[in-house]
Amino acid sequence: MKENRPSKIIQSITAVFLAAFVLLFAVAFLITEKQEFSEGENRYLEKFPEFTFSSLKEGKYTEKLQSYLSDHFPMRNLFMGLKAETEIALGKREIGGVYIAKDGYLIEDYAAPKNTDKIVGQFEKFAESLEDAEVSLMLVPTAITIYGEKLPALAPVRSQLQTRDEIYGRLDFSTIDCYDALMEAKKDNELYYRTDHHWTGYGAYAAYTAYCEAQEIVPLPLDRFDITEVSTDFKGTVYSKLNDAKIKADTITIFENPENRLTVYYEDKKETADSLYNFEYLEKKDKYSMFLNNIHPFIEITNETADSDKELAVIKDSYANCMVPFLVNHYRKVYVFDTRYYRGGPSKFINENRQITDVLLLYNMNTLDNDTGIGGIY
Amino acid sequence: MVFSSIPFLFFFLPACLILYYLVPYKVKNYVLLAFSLIFYAWGEPVYIVLMLFASAVDYTNGLLMERFGTSAGRRKLFLCASVVINLSMLGFFKYADFLVETVNALLHLSIKPLGLGLPVGISFFTFQTMSYSVDLYRRNVKVEKNYFTYLTYVSMFPQLIAGPIVRFSTVNEELHSRHIGWNDFVQGTLRFMQGLFKKVLIANNVGALWETIKAAQAGAISAGSISTGSILSGNASAGSISIATAWLGALCFTLQLYFDFSAYSDMAIGMGQMLGFHFPENFLYPLSSVSVTDFWRRWHISLSTWFRDYVYIPLGGNRAGTAKHLRNMFVVWFLTGLWHGAAWNFVLWGLYYGVLLTLEKYVWGEKLDRLPKWLRHLYAILIVVFGFVIFVFDDMGQLGGYLSLMFGTGGNALFGTELIWYVKNYAPLLLTAVLLAFPLYPYLKKKAESLPRWGRTVLSLGAAVGYAVFFILTTAYLVNDTYNPFLYFRF
Repeated sequence: MKENRPSKIIQSITAVFLAAFVLLFAVAFLITEKQEFSEGENRYLEKFPEFTFSSLKEGKYTEKLQSYLSDHFPMRNLFMGLKAETEIALGKREIGGVYIAKDGYLIEDYAAPKNTDKIVGQFEKFAESLEDAEVSLMLVPTAITIYGEKLPALAPVRSQLQTRDEIYGRLDFSTIDCYDALMEAKKDNELYYRTDHHWTGYGAYAAYTAYCEAQEIVPLPLDRFDITEVSTDFKGTVYSKLNDAKIKADTITIFENPENRLTVYYEDKKETADSLYNFEYLEKKDKYSMFLNNIHPFIEITNETADSDKELAVIKDSYANCMVPFLVNHYRKVYVFDTRYYRGGPSKFINENRQITDVLLLYNMNTLDNDTGIGGIY
Repeated sequence: MVFSSIPFLFFFLPACLILYYLVPYKVKNYVLLAFSLIFYAWGEPVYIVLMLFASAVDYTNGLLMERFGTSAGRRKLFLCASVVINLSMLGFFKYADFLVETVNALLHLSIKPLGLGLPVGISFFTFQTMSYSVDLYRRNVKVEKNYFTYLTYVSMFPQLIAGPIVRFSTVNEELHSRHIGWNDFVQGTLRFMQGLFKKVLIANNVGALWETIKAAQAGAISAGSISTGSILSGNASAGSISIATAWLGALCFTLQLYFDFSAYSDMAIGMGQMLGFHFPENFLYPLSSVSVTDFWRRWHISLSTWFRDYVYIPLGGNRAGTAKHLRNMFVVWFLTGLWHGAAWNFVLWGLYYGVLLTLEKYVWGEKLDRLPKWLRHLYAILIVVFGFVIFVFDDMGQLGGYLSLMFGTGGNALFGTELIWYVKNYAPLLLTAVLLAFPLYPYLKKKAESLPRWGRTVLSLGAAVGYAVFFILTTAYLVNDTYNPFLYFRF
């Protein structure tokens, strides 16, 4: 074979370029300042692991070092976005459990439920432990069910309703269906965020009307609320899984009844507020946390202008955080439990406070199966 | 540490190479040794002792064999010592629990398994050290007098944990004197990168599809409903796979294993070249084989030639009559299967090939040669894909379940909409993988030689851009910490 000098030179340049790229990033990694928290992914990044022989022996040290290196890699967000965009360009419509759906929706897949027996058992035990209060359960289907038509064609999805009906069928207390209400309401408004795993205030409102119907309460019409778009650049948790800058941001809308006189008491912080929203979170990445001020084990909400003197306990996941603003209109007091952090189980508190007549269990179908709060219900 | 990871690619390898190139020639082996030990200790901080022990045993045996060179009996004794110690080590750490479980199952006992973790790469380095002792016994190689040089050979990180099984005779000369030139660095870098791209961009992604299909069929079996599930807004339900999808899954695993394994060999060969070593090729487009015999000349060559040279031929090969040949085939393929993992499915996989190779030799080999080429390709690939289904399920129940889906005995449909979904999502990847499984690259390279000079220059420029783009993309996949498995922990 004849030597081709230009080809040889180009090969040399290629090898040098690749080596230089490796070195450049290695050096950039070493000299750049390390962030503690990733706003984009909304999580704490791995810290430089502390060396101990036992952690080395168990392989934990090297594992953590590896996470540390990939977490703090220069231009990490850019690389993540590049991967997502490449896959989408090559025709992939499901990336890491996220469907690239129509109209700019990113819809999380519904994984096979594994803990249905345990969940039913916990709900049962909780209901049995209540002395007087009436308990009801609402399981909320997520975007994958309500916006099924937006999913890419032929996407293989599991039925959330099947799981829900199985759970409902095995319980002997009251269960509330909000599927029909959501299917009806989706004609008028966006019920789920396109980039986050939560529902919007409109979704919560639809479920609230279903709740009211079951409890024989007259729901407030939407026009009784001041409706405000508080943010138009919300990029939520599902966005963070892809980090693709091309994906458009969401709008957050809040609903406030101007007649309400609220006192919101966060027991863990011993703080009192007069609003169900914390607007400081709008400056941050994790904007959904503005609803009910993010995570608190126990919140006591008093509404002087509620249309009844009844009291309600809500045991829930984060889906409830934007539904509570509707519920407070009908209960003088609403107690909100986050059983991931609330110790001892809420039934003791409920039994000791006999004015609590209603208890609502509210969970979304997508995270129910892995919700660590289920263990804390009872 | 796996090659396709940020710590290795961006820190370990550059640090090693820079230091290796900077130090004087005499010290290079020691730098290589130090980095190799760090490399192994990274994943096996405890079992590194085993590797040091294995090397020490064979090194000492080698010296003793040399010392008592005149006495054939003593030489044999030291050879036996080496083989027994190596095989005991392998037997104890890799096969003890397998034996315990088998005995328990057969005799209805409940002996407690040892629960030892399998030391990474033990099957590779014990085979290497044994080959040294045998070659020395056969006087095919000169004795190594420097323990550190010998240890450098055994522990050499490019080939330590996933092959190729480099024999001492192959690298003996280069261990003592090698040329480390610019051209080797360039070609080694490019070869390494090809392997890296194959692993990260192809193997991991077809592997992800295989995992998806496997999960879907597992869901189908546990739910007890294979053909129907609930259907939501016109979408195919999860937990049902058709016959065609089951075959697609098997093909994906085949592609994953080929691209992953051959990528490791590419990376090993490339890094060896950067360091001045020349390792033998380990894969020659095995999925483009035209027969089973052809496949085993192209798949994991360093392992099949190892068994040929150290087991099959010493047993008499095919020259001692048909009966002995059949016995030898059984032994070699039983062992080849078992080498891949301590479970019966691997043995079954090995024997499956033993039987097919025997049949090709004695029954239909000549008839096969007369068939049109495309039919021979089809014949070989079907056997290989089916074989890897046996390979991938170490649970016989799961294996049976998957096979029943592949052959429709579970009542599942021939086609399903889920197949279209998978193909739609993975079409460009699958197409690329299938094309690259054939020797397209060498063919085009040969064609390019007849191009005029400017044409070759343009091609090299195109290749340069390709390397740059693929490397950036590879980095994006590595940073993202997606599915990036090490498949050889059972070996």
